[in-house]
Amino acid sequence: MLSLAETQQRLRDAVVSDKSGGAADLLVGGLNAAGRLAIHRRHYEASLVAALMGRFPATGWLMGTAPIEDAARVFVHEHPPTAPCIAEYGRDFPKFLTAFLTTRPGIRPVPELRAFSELDWHLGRLAVAVDIPPVTRDQVAAIPAGALADTRLTIQLGTYYFEAARPIDDLMKLYLADAALHQIELPEMDVRVEARGARGVFRFARLTPAEFAFRAAIANAQSVGDSAQNAWNVDESFDPGTAMAGLIDAGLVTDLSLVSALPVRD
Amino acid sequence: MSSTHRVPVRAGVGLRLPHIEEVVATRPSAGWFEIHPENFVANPHGMELLQDLARLYPISVHTVGLSVGSVGGIDRPHLRRVRALIDLIDPVLVSGHLAWSTHKGEYLNDLLPLPYDRETLDTVAGHLREVQDGLGRPFLLENPSSYVGFAGSTMTEVQFLNELVDRTGCRLLCDVSNVYLSGRNMGYDARQYLDGLPAEAIDELHLGGFTAEDDDATPGGEVLIDTHATPVAEPAWALYAYAIQRFGPRPTLIEWDNDIPALDALLNEAARADAISHETTDIEAHRVVAG
Repeated sequence: MLSLAETQQRLRDAVVSDKSGGAADLLVGGLNAAGRLAIHRRHYEASLVAALMGRFPATGWLMGTAPIEDAARVFVHEHPPTAPCIAEYGRDFPKFLTAFLTTRPGIRPVPELRAFSELDWHLGRLAVAVDIPPVTRDQVAAIPAGALADTRLTIQLGTYYFEAARPIDDLMKLYLADAALHQIELPEMDVRVEARGARGVFRFARLTPAEFAFRAAIANAQSVGDSAQNAWNVDESFDPGTAMAGLIDAGLVTDLSLVSALPVRD
Repeated sequence: MSSTHRVPVRAGVGLRLPHIEEVVATRPSAGWFEIHPENFVANPHGMELLQDLARLYPISVHTVGLSVGSVGGIDRPHLRRVRALIDLIDPVLVSGHLAWSTHKGEYLNDLLPLPYDRETLDTVAGHLREVQDGLGRPFLLENPSSYVGFAGSTMTEVQFLNELVDRTGCRLLCDVSNVYLSGRNMGYDARQYLDGLPAEAIDELHLGGFTAEDDDATPGGEVLIDTHATPVAEPAWALYAYAIQRFGPRPTLIEWDNDIPALDALLNEAARADAISHETTDIEAHRVVAG
């Protein structure tokens, strides 16, 4: 008699990895019980492929759904979900998809596909975000001058910073406008973009290199001082005071905390 | 249960994301709604709508990610997230499945079968206690839809459920469609199955659609799949009437998770459940009076 742990390992292998041999002797049901495991295997694959297709609608619009589904069918077996909320699944799919498509005959390479599909995934996250009340200039002004550089700013959850070598923000706007996709030329052109979303509404703003370096670092939980240094590395004339005021006035900052006082994140 | 709402005996429907804005906007006449917390805990906008809804209707929380049967244990951060949702919306019932779906950090997005033996009983009972402690309320356990069983099982599913109720004080959610489907697939008598359940522990009934598929592994050449993508089938309605006769009226939920139709179609199924429940209860009352 196998332990429960060994039984579950064998079933997991049958469902995820299609190794049904180890489970066959354990099962009863119908004339060929092991054959019925295909029901679970099929459900596993179909439900997760559907979840991924729902998570990458713009990528399907750009590439056609067939190659995305082909990639998804392989991905779900190599990268099972690691969280119970399936809407969070697929963050690593863009990297996989890009590599997968290079191995497929007849698929024309699409520049910036990975960045575009990463944006696609994040727009799903931004679509269900809500804006929470931002901090005010007065709250920022109350921070002692000597402590400002060591302060971290919490940014609205519905925010995503990305850069690309083609204007994929324009491409995404075409998708969001439900435009028919014909021949599209995307010129080589560096873009640095702040995407915001709340309750299904999106906004895209192009940033200067220094603004982008500052805001992306802030969003990545770096202190104000470190974020300003990032921006100075790009542009010596960067003005952190103006940049801070811009963040506050845009309602992007929802909390302020000293670096040393931060709780440890999960 | 501490909810300020009382769960009505009137039937409710499973509320999935495509319908939530419509329900909040139009406030249809409905007994109650059931939600899957996994659809909301990572969806702040959905959570806002859910909180609005919870002020208008009784809500039941039906978990699909707690996995009380997994040998690896309960995902405690997820349990805490479910508890936080429960504290926000004050549901009338909280339930989950007699199944497992997690394995060494993976979520297999399916409800996988368990062998019914002492080791599994100890495992599931321990996890049920942990879940009930973590949620601060009784947990309703749902019987699974089955396509396979285990040669090494030493007790029936009904015996297993009875033991869990005795050991943990958990409550039961009897999915009548699952009983019918599993009886057909596994070759047991669905009415005998219902007869074996402890009526006093049953707090909720489920009804959902299934799909017949060709299956050369099955004696009849057909296997019933729990798709929740179709109306409730006639044999399941008949078994539902028997369940009401056996258990008395119980809060009943119509589940429809795939190929989701217009909300009215779900509400019509709920109305049919109400009609059967009333009719069966009236007949039983007449029998008592006549007898």
